[in-house]
Amino acid sequence: MVNQALQIMKPSMLFPYKSRFIGLALIVAHVPVRAIWEMINPDIDESHKLPVNAGDSALFTNGHLFFIASTLLVLTGLFLVAFAKEKIEDEQISQLRLESLQWAIYVNYFILIMSLVFTNGIDFIDMLRLNLLIPLVFFIVRFRWKLWQLNRLLKKEEV
Amino acid sequence: MKNNMRVERAIKNITQAELAELISVSRQTINTIESNRYVPSTVLALKIARVFGKPVEEIFTLEEED
Repeated sequence: MVNQALQIMKPSMLFPYKSRFIGLALIVAHVPVRAIWEMINPDIDESHKLPVNAGDSALFTNGHLFFIASTLLVLTGLFLVAFAKEKIEDEQISQLRLESLQWAIYVNYFILIMSLVFTNGIDFIDMLRLNLLIPLVFFIVRFRWKLWQLNRLLKKEEV
Repeated sequence: MKNNMRVERAIKNITQAELAELISVSRQTINTIESNRYVPSTVLALKIARVFGKPVEEIFTLEEED
């Protein structure tokens, strides 16, 4: 129908509703995997640092591969949670999504600029981690919070 | 923009949930439109008007500050 083309964010760009639960499962699964790895390798924070000097060949060591795998796991989970359709995906929900995305970009760049100013090159990996997670995590929190507010309004009305 | 959807719903004797289902949006959206927290798109306004069988202007009206 015509009105589908008029929707701000096309529902086809979102994952199916149920993928939210797969995403949550991935995020939860990531925690014990990571904890066990860190128990076996107490020096993990050293082992997966990106090579600082050009001559270092620290890529694709066990630690680095684990870092890639576990990060992909948690990022996939976050993406599925963030961009799964709601049960009823209407125009107000789309608007909340867009607003929350805008907020997430603002917050991410604010933190990025702050960390550019107040850290030096050694903390690069921490900046990378922040940038990987903050936009998605902030988006999810803000979007869920707004939905919760809508539901609260509805409940108030019914009482 | 204000609206008299509550009145129209009372006349037609349908709940927020029933109206939401008729135009395939969430109940939250109907609720926020009725309490003037959310301004619907033209498409949605026309759909609401169609349910009540009235022109859009009889349901949604502009206010001073619009």
